[in-house]
Amino acid sequence: MMRVALAVLMDSLHLLRARRMFGISLAISLAIAVAYAAIGFDAGGMTLFGLKKIPSEHLTAGSENAAAFYILLFTDVIVRYWLAWVVLLIGLISTISIFPDFLAEGSIGVSLSKPVSRPALFLLKYAGALLFVALQVFLLSVIAFLAIGFRVGEWNPGIFWAVPVVTFVFSLIYCVSVLAAVWTKSTAFSLIAGLGVWGMSLLVQWGEDFTYKLGVMMPELGMTMDMTTGEAQVAEEGDGEGLRAWQRSFEAMMTPLPKTRECTLSMKRLMVFSDRDSPLQGMDLGMIFSPGGPDPQMQEVMRKYEERHSSWYVFGSSALFEAVVLGWAMWIFARRDY
Amino acid sequence: MSKRYGRFEALKDVSLTVPAGSIFGLLGPNGAGKSTLVKSLLTIVRPSACRGRLLGERIGHRATLAKVGYLPEHARFPDHLTGRQIVAYSAGMTKVPAGRAKVVTEELLELVGMGDWADKRNGNYSKGMRQRVGLAQALVNDPAIVFLDEPTDGVDPEGRVEIRKIIERIREQGRTVFVNSHLLAEVEAVADEVAILAQGRIVKRGRTEDLVKAGSRFVVRALGPVPFELKARFEADGAKVGGDRVECECEDARGVQGIIDAMRAAGVVVREVIETRTSLEEVFMSAIRATKGGES
Repeated sequence: MMRVALAVLMDSLHLLRARRMFGISLAISLAIAVAYAAIGFDAGGMTLFGLKKIPSEHLTAGSENAAAFYILLFTDVIVRYWLAWVVLLIGLISTISIFPDFLAEGSIGVSLSKPVSRPALFLLKYAGALLFVALQVFLLSVIAFLAIGFRVGEWNPGIFWAVPVVTFVFSLIYCVSVLAAVWTKSTAFSLIAGLGVWGMSLLVQWGEDFTYKLGVMMPELGMTMDMTTGEAQVAEEGDGEGLRAWQRSFEAMMTPLPKTRECTLSMKRLMVFSDRDSPLQGMDLGMIFSPGGPDPQMQEVMRKYEERHSSWYVFGSSALFEAVVLGWAMWIFARRDY
Repeated sequence: MSKRYGRFEALKDVSLTVPAGSIFGLLGPNGAGKSTLVKSLLTIVRPSACRGRLLGERIGHRATLAKVGYLPEHARFPDHLTGRQIVAYSAGMTKVPAGRAKVVTEELLELVGMGDWADKRNGNYSKGMRQRVGLAQALVNDPAIVFLDEPTDGVDPEGRVEIRKIIERIREQGRTVFVNSHLLAEVEAVADEVAILAQGRIVKRGRTEDLVKAGSRFVVRALGPVPFELKARFEADGAKVGGDRVECECEDARGVQGIIDAMRAAGVVVREVIETRTSLEEVFMSAIRATKGGES
């Protein structure tokens, strides 16, 4: 079985090498990682490639603030935007034709006529496609690991959580595309299906997030939103009740769907960094740059917000979604005549 | 073996025996069910009913497929792979140890005349080159039987001759070759046995030599019309007589000696004796016509 697995994975690597999109995406990922590694700190503030200086009295060499800020850049910018959006989208576009091409007349027969069971063949091919994302994230994580180690002095293997988590998030979208591909053999339909389910799940997650912020977070901070004027007001007893009901509805809708956004956000919880004596600890970049600066009450509300869904719920229900969709796709693949 | 797609019966109780070490040709018009039959033997299609053995194991036994080679019709290998990588993929899928695979890949690419092109990408190959690489990948696991589905389809005449030679070489190595084709002359040139499949049924089968021999005819031409008395006698013996021609069906020249003797005894000058053999194409066409006649 090992020999077969190697053959299929080698085939996937050949395919990745042939995809121009993979090369471009990899190059940009590496450029981002190098740019991240080039950020440094000296006595006067932040430096870029040791040349460009951004003066700051807080972010100085050896300070806890600088260390916390450097880590935040990785978790809140690179992971949250580049890995969670761009790499996933490019990954989906680049790998979308793998299954339709594999299932094409004259191509599938060669593989099916070999002494390999159909489910094994299906899963190996699927795993091969996931390599596209896993490899990119791994290379970026290695550079980030070294950069954080050298810049901040924290050699944290938790950074490598990005590899399985981002690959898992990608697989949540990709499994839908694979189901569409084995069903219709159409690349276009496969892409539309993947993007459609991703979009739908994002809308529901955003809906839940938005109603939670307005219905739960703001009242906890003693504020409420006047929906007619859009202005914040002092909260009164019972404010936000209606929005909390909406939030619960969105949450119910979210449960059977893949939680792509939530999984990515959960990565911050998985990458446990050392506690630092810094007000930046446990914050996100938005809060740091807010006019009032870091607020302890806000930090507590933020912590509750980030932890409102357990990792078991986020990853478990998403994995269940993937198992059902992939199982369905595998069943079609295994039962079909080619 | 039977295969149904809803109400449509692609294969109807097809029964075949293919002798080991021979080249077996499965003939049939497009849509006859040739590819469905081969795909069913190789688990690519799931037959509706199947009872039989392939290399001594039940059909569908997965491990047995390690001893089987297959070149599909319209074989499509990824354009980004080189010939060597295509063969290596098949080697891996059939669990050929990596070291052995490397050696065999080299040998096979030489055998099919692709040694110099082994590291060029499939996208740069001509149709004939792709088929040759396809043949190489079908042989990489040292198979006991090789299924070739329309191996010369779309290949130019020169390429066809080369592929035919390769098929003969495969037989010389002691392997069984199962060729699906609608190119009758090609099959006639290489196949030891053939079966004709029409509308999902085997309508004729046998040794190629016997099938074409069964249609052997001799034509004896006289100098002038055949006398009436001789005509009546020959026709009573089953020959066809018309003008100066006497046509009889017989296996070899011995069968026509009586006619020649009778003509000479009657003073008729024998101008020429012509032996004509039915081609496989005629056997095929007559079998297909008979099937259509039977259906209507």
